[in-house]
Amino acid sequence: MASTSKDVPTSPSGHDNTDDDLEPGASYDSILNPTDSFEEFATEMNTSLERSRDLTKKSSTISEIQSEIGECSKELKETKSSDNLQNKDEAISASTSNSNLDENGEDTDNEDDYLKSPELVNKEKHVFILSSAGKPIYSRYGNEDKLAGVCGVIQALVSVVEEQNRDILRSIITKDCKAVFLVKGPLILVAVSKSNESETQLVLQLTYAFNQIVSVLTLTQLNRIFEQRRNYDLRRLLSGAERLIDNLLIFMEKDPAFLLGAVRCLPLPEKVRENITNAIISTCHKIRDLVFAILIAGNQLITLVRMKKYTLHPSDIHLLFNLVRSSESFKTAESWTPICLPKFDATGFLHGHVSYISEDCQACLLLLTVQRDAFYPLSQAKHTISDKLRRSNCLTAINDALNRSKDLPTTNPLKHIGIPEIRHFMYKCKSTAQLFTSDPICLDRLQDYRQRHKEGGDVVKKKVEKLSDIDYVRNYREFCSKMHCACSPAKLIFRSNSLDTVLAWITNGFELYVTFDPLMEKDQAIRAVDRLLRWIKNEEKRIFIMNAPTF
Amino acid sequence: MIDTPHKIDSFFIFNSNFGPKEGDELKRILFFYPNQINTDVRKTQVGLCEAIVRFMTTFSSEPCEALQTQSKRYIFFQPEKNFWMVLVIRIPYATKLSGDSKDVVEPSIMQDFMVSSYKTFRMFVGLFKDIPPEDTYGICEQFFNPYITSIDVSNDLSNIIQGINYLPLEKNSFFKVICFIDLLQVNYPQFKCISFVYNDQLIWNGLCKDDMLTLYQYLVHSLLPKQVEKEIQGGAVTAAERHGRFISPPEGIHSDEDLKKLNKVYLRREDDNETKQYYLVIYRTLSATVSFTVDVDTHVDFATFRALDTFIGPQLSTIASSIGEQCTIHALQNAQIASPDHKFLYFNKLNLAFKTSTPSNCMTPSAAVKPEVLNIIAEIHQDHKSLGKYGEIIIKTPDEYWITGKSSNDREFYVVMQKNANLKEIADEVKRICEMQMKGIFFYPM
Repeated sequence: MASTSKDVPTSPSGHDNTDDDLEPGASYDSILNPTDSFEEFATEMNTSLERSRDLTKKSSTISEIQSEIGECSKELKETKSSDNLQNKDEAISASTSNSNLDENGEDTDNEDDYLKSPELVNKEKHVFILSSAGKPIYSRYGNEDKLAGVCGVIQALVSVVEEQNRDILRSIITKDCKAVFLVKGPLILVAVSKSNESETQLVLQLTYAFNQIVSVLTLTQLNRIFEQRRNYDLRRLLSGAERLIDNLLIFMEKDPAFLLGAVRCLPLPEKVRENITNAIISTCHKIRDLVFAILIAGNQLITLVRMKKYTLHPSDIHLLFNLVRSSESFKTAESWTPICLPKFDATGFLHGHVSYISEDCQACLLLLTVQRDAFYPLSQAKHTISDKLRRSNCLTAINDALNRSKDLPTTNPLKHIGIPEIRHFMYKCKSTAQLFTSDPICLDRLQDYRQRHKEGGDVVKKKVEKLSDIDYVRNYREFCSKMHCACSPAKLIFRSNSLDTVLAWITNGFELYVTFDPLMEKDQAIRAVDRLLRWIKNEEKRIFIMNAPTF
Repeated sequence: MIDTPHKIDSFFIFNSNFGPKEGDELKRILFFYPNQINTDVRKTQVGLCEAIVRFMTTFSSEPCEALQTQSKRYIFFQPEKNFWMVLVIRIPYATKLSGDSKDVVEPSIMQDFMVSSYKTFRMFVGLFKDIPPEDTYGICEQFFNPYITSIDVSNDLSNIIQGINYLPLEKNSFFKVICFIDLLQVNYPQFKCISFVYNDQLIWNGLCKDDMLTLYQYLVHSLLPKQVEKEIQGGAVTAAERHGRFISPPEGIHSDEDLKKLNKVYLRREDDNETKQYYLVIYRTLSATVSFTVDVDTHVDFATFRALDTFIGPQLSTIASSIGEQCTIHALQNAQIASPDHKFLYFNKLNLAFKTSTPSNCMTPSAAVKPEVLNIIAEIHQDHKSLGKYGEIIIKTPDEYWITGKSSNDREFYVVMQKNANLKEIADEVKRICEMQMKGIFFYPM
């Protein structure tokens, strides 16, 4: 550890003055499970052929909670599983008649032409999901039925490598295109991309897409379906989930939260956040089955109150963000919905009461429980919380933050810090898995992006005018993948060219990516980074959630 | 030193059009290494590659470059339409190289190895498509088998980029070389001088850039090491060697019979715009090696060669010894500024000029660089976009290696050092090395 001080490119004066040893944003307690998605990736990619096929069943966290609560858990489980079986049987019998029709093979001849059709040609990134029997389940563009041919080829490639070479197919590369393969349980996921994302980043996206499916079905059900009928057409169970995957893919392309495996928090004054948290705790602490209470707004976390011992993984929160953002229906009515959080417990459902806090505030409250018939007590709790927040003026504070009111220091941090040569930055606190960027994408711009994407998703050479957050983040992808490269990782990258200067820096506590003006001097950059870190430290209580409240 | 056969899992060449019908799959395989692999395995390997290539054409108009599986990387190269060369190396997917990382070769080095194997093939044998299909199998076997087993690839800084090591000479010596070449071409117009090499450094070149690299590599990696070995075994320099001799054909030219053994090569000379077939004649005195081309239509006779020998021999040996003296002075100067705590690499894309702190052909084990570091340099080198016309990148690895890459116009400069320092100190150090080693070459930003 003697090297840590030298490790730091900042002038020695930088860190020694700060009153606290901790990196900006770090706290001893975290609501999020800070497992690094890159480390996870590395271990997963190391798995042997045998293990990758069978997703090991860990003990279920949900049943653990249920048994702790001690009530009626047995009965609950039984009803649930018998339910599943019934549903599935119906579904399967329905599919038998159908699948025979699908297999007339007529499409395969036209398959090449279809991929070259205007609907599909020149897309920046294709994503295909198919069953290990080669049946199409999802395609980002075009009609899956017409892609039976290409899915057949993918399945054949995967199985040839597996069976004849005793190996696992990972990727294929041409000069302008990468195809990445991920075999997970009974599914095969493929991304074919012309973007600048690295193979690792694409695999992580495919893992997310897989988790999105698990979140709708649970892993147990997914595995069981294919154990019983290898040729099952999963689409019939996933209706509605296509839209979730569509949105998730767009979300992942533009939000740095995915790049860094972290969660963005809505910047709020410390006191306001405390009030919100207390309002939730005081209302809910008596509800025994409640596991998580989560308040989110605009893909940002406002607060998370949890049952003792349990934390959430950032990727589960991302799925919740995606669910809320993709479902207009939550806006109009209180909903009761089963949600599986794959990292928390892939084998079972939590039940969620989901509703917007009030008509004049776009914050959404999720109350997740293991109790399948708790709608009414939770609905009541929600109304109490909502009233409390209104009375304590918290709703106004949330709205100010969401609308990026000009008076807030976090609305335009670069101006507030006063370092003109910094154009953009992105900071992740590793111990709490939270991030902050200088120019968070506001909701309407996100909508724009989504709109644009629906129409195209094509490879376009656009002229750069003013770069947006999305463009900077796109730029950081390459740095991110170099820093986390499994075979030759880096701790620091300083790159300057005629367009800009970028500094990427990882320490034990944080990850930082900064874009400066072109041809920046090194010592000037070091001084600027030093000031930036001090600013983040000063504002940390506002931009990060520094404690980990429990019921 | 790394033994190549151990690195290479397999290497094969195929053309799907050679056996279009089912059952004819074996005909598609023009060459397969290692030889002991049975035909079923060959067929599945080639079949997989055919499928991969076809699969990617639905998404990209660019040819397939690589396939990565959990344990291996398949590197693809399509030198001519429908002819595919595939090199399979053992390299694990997305795992930290550790412990046995000595056994892993940087994939870009292997890619370059495959491309130069083809270029050498094209120089000596010609295009695949010009060879009658039924002869292809035998010719490939004859050429590629020894090629693969003879070449060794090490994780050396100098292998990251394929370049030519030029010998800087002071004006007078350089003009002596030029005068010698001019005089020779005036007296023997059918002989065109295409290269002048001293030790393993190039002084004069009469070929187009690409072919020069191929010929240079053939001389430096294959032909000359064998000659040097012979010279060493022969003990003291014999009188004949002082006066020079023909080294291609290898046994020299002592009679009309020997002329039949002249190598034929396909090359494009600097002033020509097409590749033509020539006889390749190579002459060596002391450490100087001169190569000539002779049109294949020219009538060659032994008398001309004997006259040529008496013409070149004495002149070349004078020039060679004066260059030798200069080299000694150079070496002394270089030894003074060389320092063991850093390694550098310079490359100019326009003339393929190449300079490195680790002398090429050096067999010292310390010359090997960690594969992680090589990987980073190879990535910077291949990623032309990120540095643009002018740019600089500094990367620090977890084990305190600092890798700096600079690009300025078409010149590249890399420095590797391992030390405990900060960004500014490293940048200053690199600047110092750059000024010292690359006097007069301008890098922006400084």
